[in-house]
Amino acid sequence: MADNTHHSMTDPSPDPAADEPKHVEAKAAILLVLIGVLVCAFVLYVMYARGVFEPTQRLTLVADDSSGVIPGMDMTFAGFPIGRVAQVDLADDGKVNISVDVQSKDAKWLRTSSVFTLESSIVGETRLRAYTGVLTDAPLPPNSTRTVLRGDATAEIPRIVATARALLENLETMTASESDINASLANLSAVTGRMSGRYGVLGGALGGDAEAQKLMEALDRVNALLGKADQRVFGKAGVMDDTQAAIRQLDVVLKDASNTLKKVDAVLVEAQAVGANTREATEDLSALRGEVDASLRKVNRLVEEINRKWPFARTPQEIKLP
Amino acid sequence: MPRTSRRATSAIAHPDLWLASLARYLRSWWYMVHLGAVAIVTAFSPSTWRRESFKATAFHIHTSTWQVLPWFALASSLVSLVIIRIVLVTAKSYGLSQFALEMVVRVLVLELIPLSAALFVALRAGMAFDASALGLARAGLNPVAASNEALRRLRRDLVPQLIANAIAVLSLAMVTSIVVLVLAYVNVYGLSIWGLPDYTRTVGRVFAPTVTAGFVIKTVLFGLAVALIPTAAILELQRYPRRMASTVQPGALRLLFVLIVIEAASLTLKYI
Repeated sequence: MADNTHHSMTDPSPDPAADEPKHVEAKAAILLVLIGVLVCAFVLYVMYARGVFEPTQRLTLVADDSSGVIPGMDMTFAGFPIGRVAQVDLADDGKVNISVDVQSKDAKWLRTSSVFTLESSIVGETRLRAYTGVLTDAPLPPNSTRTVLRGDATAEIPRIVATARALLENLETMTASESDINASLANLSAVTGRMSGRYGVLGGALGGDAEAQKLMEALDRVNALLGKADQRVFGKAGVMDDTQAAIRQLDVVLKDASNTLKKVDAVLVEAQAVGANTREATEDLSALRGEVDASLRKVNRLVEEINRKWPFARTPQEIKLP
Repeated sequence: MPRTSRRATSAIAHPDLWLASLARYLRSWWYMVHLGAVAIVTAFSPSTWRRESFKATAFHIHTSTWQVLPWFALASSLVSLVIIRIVLVTAKSYGLSQFALEMVVRVLVLELIPLSAALFVALRAGMAFDASALGLARAGLNPVAASNEALRRLRRDLVPQLIANAIAVLSLAMVTSIVVLVLAYVNVYGLSIWGLPDYTRTVGRVFAPTVTAGFVIKTVLFGLAVALIPTAAILELQRYPRRMASTVQPGALRLLFVLIVIEAASLTLKYI
């Protein structure tokens, strides 16, 4: 080493080519070109990756809160990134304007009825998503402004915890050893225990087998009573038979009465004819006859009415609606 | 070594010397910055670019980049492969595999690879340079003659050396970054091309304009620091020949310090 430097010192301008490998300049040029190409390719790739060369259309989303939204984050549709947040700024009305560049080839997925959501999960980044329910609606025009719905899992946590605590307290009260539910369950258990006894549901409902047995006995007696009543009323020589016979007799009696009255009428006609000359003397007979006529008509009507009524009707009675 | 340490303790022990040592310390930094400025101006002035400067630059590029690039790329690819696997497996076990790729790209490509490239070039090229200069200084000449000769040689070699080292850092970082990007893709998606759009979007998300600019500026600054600091330390050594007895490589600590400052500043700007 010392010798080398000595040598180079004695020669003020040593030729570096003396101990250098071959084609140094060519290799250096190749290296430089290679690195240049690599750098250019990398820069172009990054520009392509950032969507510099893609035609886009602008969409402005209006939100209340911009937390988690950073320029460069993706907007996804069905999990596929279709746009990129270009800018986030605070508008004059205090709302957050999120400008999204949507790639023109993917803009067909956005329709006028599309819904945009901003969701922040507990772990991981905030997600901007687009949902399109009806793909046949009119396409979303460029430079549209839409409201974004915010769903924040972390913001919900305190509320969920509070609700869960109340729920757990209720549950604890319900499951305590002297709780109403426990008592109800004990009663239910007793009832179902009785239900599984000899008289089943009846025993459960009435409070014991003894009561159920009484009920059964009562029912048996009622059954017997009903059987007897049936026999007495509708059986042979029952009440109904007697009644029918009585009514038939009444019919006969009434017919006789009618005939008798007709005879009386004939007698009266005779008497009228006989006593025509003595009309003046028998003025009262005329009135008597009117009365008898009226009585006769009444009896006739009564007979007809009875005849019309079941079971004396000759033809089946039609039911007439008023 | 004993002499320098005694000097150091005596400077700390005597408060009246604090100002003087502070001034020397600042002068040393200023010397380095000034030398860097001169080197950059010289590099951009057309009169520098004569035939022999080209030859010298080519020689230095050959030494500092061509010879080491394959081995460095291979070694750092192996290490990167291990890190990629660790990150992927860990992320998968936590159910966060969708963030693994981004983390790999951020950690490896943006931070670790430029830093390791800078350290590697500093060790390789800076030490080679030191050895020749130190040999020169220890050759037994009187200090003035040695200093003049060193300055003349350094002037002839300084600019090509600076350029070559800067290019070396840039090349190593660039080539290894691209190899690591490919390795990360293969590790995550396998040998299928259908992950490309997804991967491209992830890379696009990581390399925001500011991040890309920061990456390029950081790499260039690394190159400058690696090229400049050992050189300036050697040249300063020529002016203080008494320190030459030290076996510590001149400028090594300062280089490390500057590299850490650059890295910390870039991290701060990027994430805070």
